[in-house]
Amino acid sequence: MREIQLQLSQTQKVRLQKALEHLESLSSKVNSDASVTIADSIPVNHEDGVLKGHGTADLEGEVVATLCGVVERVNKLVYVRTLRSRYKPEVGDIVIGRVIEVAQKRWRLDINYSQNAYLMLSAMNMPDGVQRRRTALDELNMRCIFEEADVICAEVRGFQQDGLHLQARSQKYGKLSTGQLITVTPYLVKRQKQHFHHLEQYGIDLIIGCNGFIWVGEHVEVRDDMVEDQVSQSDPQVLIPNKNSVSLEEQEKNYTALETRKHICRAANAVRVLSTLGFIITLEIIKGVIDLSLSMNLDIHDMLGSEFCVLVAEKEAERRSSNKKKR
Amino acid sequence: MEMDRPDGRSPNQLRPLACSRSVLHRAHGSATWAQGETKVLAAVYGPKAGTKKNENPEKASIEIIWKPNTGHIGQADREYEMILKKTFESICIRTIYPNTTTSIVVQVVHDDGALLPCAINAACAALVDAGIPLRHLAVAICCSVTDNNCIILDPSKQEEEKAKAFAYLVFPNTTVSVVPEKSLQAGSDPMAHGIITSVTHGAMSVDDYLHCLERGRATTQRLSEFLRKNMEPKSTREASKAG
Repeated sequence: MREIQLQLSQTQKVRLQKALEHLESLSSKVNSDASVTIADSIPVNHEDGVLKGHGTADLEGEVVATLCGVVERVNKLVYVRTLRSRYKPEVGDIVIGRVIEVAQKRWRLDINYSQNAYLMLSAMNMPDGVQRRRTALDELNMRCIFEEADVICAEVRGFQQDGLHLQARSQKYGKLSTGQLITVTPYLVKRQKQHFHHLEQYGIDLIIGCNGFIWVGEHVEVRDDMVEDQVSQSDPQVLIPNKNSVSLEEQEKNYTALETRKHICRAANAVRVLSTLGFIITLEIIKGVIDLSLSMNLDIHDMLGSEFCVLVAEKEAERRSSNKKKR
Repeated sequence: MEMDRPDGRSPNQLRPLACSRSVLHRAHGSATWAQGETKVLAAVYGPKAGTKKNENPEKASIEIIWKPNTGHIGQADREYEMILKKTFESICIRTIYPNTTTSIVVQVVHDDGALLPCAINAACAALVDAGIPLRHLAVAICCSVTDNNCIILDPSKQEEEKAKAFAYLVFPNTTVSVVPEKSLQAGSDPMAHGIITSVTHGAMSVDDYLHCLERGRATTQRLSEFLRKNMEPKSTREASKAG
């Protein structure tokens, strides 16, 4: 277990230990019979015909584990699931990645996986919203859309011949700006129905990427390009990326209010606290932590202190026990 | 033949073992392994895309980086790298992730004898921590032959320097069935078969070498148990905390 890296005083250590033990007792017991270590043979009913999945190997007719973890059985499939594994992309996952390279007709992104993912130019919506073939001019203007070190939100399309492909065909995907990107270990993010959250009372957007990258940023209205009038028809010409020449009016338009920025920092610190404690990251628990910090009138940087971490652990233990009693 | 060892151990006694996993946050897997005063830290990164030029792209390749505790990387370190590479290439299932590279970085924290076995044990624990599929676990031990032809296990640096010859031996871990009754039936041969790596220094007779093998194999039982016990309890604790 990754030891919690906090400077805790003696009483804080005791409190944290108690809270964690309480949580352990509440959770459903993992069937200890099912946990295996490498080279353990897995008890299998041979007459049924068994499908050997991930983490298993065939050794002289015996099914043997090649990973340390828990044995899972689904009908005839037997596989070993590690408890703390790296991110494994599935089709339809929402991921957040950073552009590493602009290549021919595609961008290469780092998504915390063993390979880099590709976002094809044809898998992106054009800025003017028109559906058309991508011309050579579009290829030359790729840098105006995304550059190196930009943070992008996209969806996993699948494994193609040359690697992992992403697509960003909806308005909710695309470049993310005015916000913070927080990296947590991937197993703290479970696949859920909704990964895009909008916290109205704080005016911030929260995107929980399945690969362990979490984005907290200013709320952006999702516009539907098809409906909006084509006000700004840009002439098709080679555009120069205008990073340096941002006019004063644009700067004023892009100015984020201090309140919103504070809320962004508070939410980001909440995610950091949860990642230190090792709790699964969902919308409810993040909201709970933000509310807790606001109710205590805590300064944003105090949220990363040891006292707050212990409080969050205790509160989570209370919440889960009250949930269990309700059932 | 009774042998007086400086730290008062019997010839078959190992130094106290200590192992901890997941010590580094940014590595995909990491472990420290200490045998007495010798301590090694291993980190695993991977699998990463791409292989080196002279590696077979149809298989996963393993890259070892050995970092000594003092001084520049020298010839001895390159030799250790090569030995570790060959050892782990036989343990890992290389056909699962073709055209990828898994890097193992071994950092020597303190060297007090039996350095290579300690490093192999640490790297094996780190590979398990990273979730790389392995055929079986590797357990390494050092046996040395002293001047009066006595075989002692797990020598300290002093004993290694005075020894006539010593051998580093790596054995595969025993396979244990999840169903406990089976292991009782297999009481006739609980020991592992085969040997993965053997590195010898100095001159010893054939008989001495075979004795070393026997003693080493018998001791790996203890080491394997320690390794397995180390893998298990953490997993159940993890699952409950994550909810």
